[in-house]
Amino acid sequence: MRIFRRPGAIVLALVLIAVAGAVFAADVFAQGAPFGAKPAAPPPSGFAGWVLAEQAKFFRALSAAIREAKADGSAAYGLFWLSFLYGAFHAAGPGHGKAVISAYLVADGATIPRGIALSAAAAFVQALSAIALVGIAALLLGATARAMGETVRWLEIGAYTLIIVFGLLLAWRKGQAFLRSFVAWRTGKPAPERADHDHDHHAHDHSHGHGHDLDHDHCGHAHGPELEDLKGRGWLKRGLAAVFAVGIRPCSGAILVLAFALSQGIFLVGVASTFAMAVGTAITVAVIAILAVVAKDVATRLAAGSNGAGMVAIRGLEFAGALVVILLGVLLITGLIASERMFPV
Amino acid sequence: MIRGPLKTALTAAVLLFGTAAANAHPHVWVTVKSELVFAADGTVEAVRHAWTFDEMFSAFATQGLDTDKDGKLTREELAELAQTNVDSLKEFGYFSFGKSGGKDVTFGEPKDYWLEADKDNVLTLHFTLPVAAKPAKGEMTVDVYDPTWFVDFSFAEKDPVALANAPAGCTVDVKGPDEASTAPTNLSESFFNNLTASSQFGSQFASRVSLRCR
Repeated sequence: MRIFRRPGAIVLALVLIAVAGAVFAADVFAQGAPFGAKPAAPPPSGFAGWVLAEQAKFFRALSAAIREAKADGSAAYGLFWLSFLYGAFHAAGPGHGKAVISAYLVADGATIPRGIALSAAAAFVQALSAIALVGIAALLLGATARAMGETVRWLEIGAYTLIIVFGLLLAWRKGQAFLRSFVAWRTGKPAPERADHDHDHHAHDHSHGHGHDLDHDHCGHAHGPELEDLKGRGWLKRGLAAVFAVGIRPCSGAILVLAFALSQGIFLVGVASTFAMAVGTAITVAVIAILAVVAKDVATRLAAGSNGAGMVAIRGLEFAGALVVILLGVLLITGLIASERMFPV
Repeated sequence: MIRGPLKTALTAAVLLFGTAAANAHPHVWVTVKSELVFAADGTVEAVRHAWTFDEMFSAFATQGLDTDKDGKLTREELAELAQTNVDSLKEFGYFSFGKSGGKDVTFGEPKDYWLEADKDNVLTLHFTLPVAAKPAKGEMTVDVYDPTWFVDFSFAEKDPVALANAPAGCTVDVKGPDEASTAPTNLSESFFNNLTASSQFGSQFASRVSLRCR
């Protein structure tokens, strides 16, 4: 690890984080720059048209599968498979859920089991939210699309407010830790850790082989998978907040599938298909979350060898993660970034 | 030395900010048929749209609207939805972007709007968009697209466009997304500059109706 024992090596970690970010930014369907910047011209081969045609085909296959499932129950398996793929690919495009979970994982104790657990829980909550919406509003109350749209809008406002509040709390914690590490670095004294700072202080007894003995301020331990990681009540509370903030707003695709299944008189098939979608979503989001965890782990390892400055960088990274959560919440609630929209009803 | 953390913060922010914003993929597919309606003086006075939605969105949109529970949706049962549609479409500029003589053609409040459902309860929204100011004679284009690409618009394969009361010598054609964005050869320079300056994400998927009159 000697070669990493200079603050400049942090740049390497940044590159890794950038790569992880780029991977989850790589949305095959989104070829243009955001915010109205001039989109890249589609290649002469008509790639844009091809993507369009493929997506349209996929959506048509999904609705055709629902029709088939109505006529022949065994066709439902094809529908579940398509739904699973839809969930997996749909989640591959960057959305606020993945961004919030990834930013949260960077900000707060990032471990792979936590990443997987959070992703799965968020996808499950999102499936339940869509089922509850269409099940209660449409099936039981006979509500119109407009009423459902308004309900979704309220859920959105709730979810985005939760994201902001959650980000603020996270930033408060992580900002303090950042300041402490900064002061420690400037004064050359190890930073005092507060008792409530549940930064995986357990399980110190195993060796990580990354200059632990020099690392007196216990900077951001990123352990390998272990059940212990899922304990710790402070983390669990914040993790649950993240899951709800992300999962409360149902995905439009699930609402559409459920509404169509309901119109075909096979609502339960739609429910099963929504869960298949959630499995696909969970897998993709978990992969992205794992990338965020690995990136932070590498950054932490690099920082461990570089005395106080690396520590400041890691705390800064965590603080930045918290700020990004706030930023996402603000952008979402002000409508500056639209999460999802259907045709206006 | 503060550059490390600061740089980290900026990198993380830019990445997450950018990626969340780039999230765009359609959930609703609309098949468009449009008609250019001419005034007596030979200029276009309105665009008459007929937009057919995909069956999943149709099922969602018609939820709870079959008030007499006969499984069929009448124009009356759909009247309120049609009203909501055209009201809220205003915010999105009716997803219709007209150009004529290098200038934007703006549209007024829609007229003659209604929704009809076919035997599978697939919805078609009919509405007429009057032009607010007279466009130049004999040359006009209309792009139909959602800049944020949550709704995918594509023209029907059969009879995508038509002309009503057109003077002799006028023809109209439709170019699909790729042709429209890569083959602007028969458009004036100023038109293309305008398009580039104001175009947004979804414009690369726009289909363009082009009117030419001799």
